[in-house]
Amino acid sequence: MARGRVPCSALSSLAMGVLARAALLCVAGTVLGIAGNRFTPRPAPLGAPVAASAEQPGAACENPGASVARISVEEAKPLCLACTAAFIDARSAPEYAAGHVTGALHLPPEGPVEALLPALRSAPAVIVYDRDRACSAANQVAARLQAYGLRDVRVLTGAWPEWLARGGPGESGACGLCAGDRP
Amino acid sequence: MTRLVLTAIRVALGALFLWAAATKLPDLANFAQDVANYRVLPPMLVPYASAAVVGIEILSGLALVTGVAAKPAALLAAALLVAFIVFLAQALLRGIDLRCGCFGGDEPASWWTVARDFAMLAAAVVVARGSPHQQQGGHTLAA
Repeated sequence: MARGRVPCSALSSLAMGVLARAALLCVAGTVLGIAGNRFTPRPAPLGAPVAASAEQPGAACENPGASVARISVEEAKPLCLACTAAFIDARSAPEYAAGHVTGALHLPPEGPVEALLPALRSAPAVIVYDRDRACSAANQVAARLQAYGLRDVRVLTGAWPEWLARGGPGESGACGLCAGDRP
Repeated sequence: MTRLVLTAIRVALGALFLWAAATKLPDLANFAQDVANYRVLPPMLVPYASAAVVGIEILSGLALVTGVAAKPAALLAAALLVAFIVFLAQALLRGIDLRCGCFGGDEPASWWTVARDFAMLAAAVVVARGSPHQQQGGHTLAA
């Protein structure tokens, strides 16, 4: 054997040792997490099923930690029909073009806000929605609008699928006013 | 790679894991909801997996920061990051719009999040492999 070299078997046993300790660390971490769960302020509900937000009837977008107020489809529909609220669609441009709330403007989370501000500032309320009942994109957009000084900004619970399911007014086509959607 | 650089990567990775765990600990119920929204695990398994992930993040983070069992911890961190990447990628490819759940808050899952996890995975692999000096004096597989 050349100086400074070790047999393959020695290195293999070294690797096995690292693997074994990694597995041990994994088991210890799992035990720590599950045992320590109940000592946390809001523990995970061990023993109870946790389904995706979109699969929980009536609980769509209901996040107790949300910084943006919510509004239900039933509450939002009259505001849409009376044009007393501006609607913002936070989904992708193709999704918006395929169908959106009547009169809604398109603003994805990274989209330019400035061009829409005059229209939004003239509306008594702004309602933001996306495609998923977790409302992640809508939350992002709503937080950005609040940062621009818009006061009454709300996120639509149930999102676009709920709007459609409950017969909310819709239309299709690109957004003419939205800077990000212009070719 | 110098020992100093390797140590810096190890400590930074460990600190990131500890930070990730710290942001989840105040609201594990919310983190469990984030995990459920990926729609990969059976609902009954979600709360256990969520609690376990945080426990593993704490232990591997501590091990990486202190340097005790750093290589096994880096290996475990790499395995966890591969799982995160798979979870994120499948959700994005299926068009599921959800919070990442990575560092608490409302950060949405995106390809940027996947890229960040790949960067952390690269760091974990570097630490798991260690420097040539740490591998028993630069030994090779040659007999």
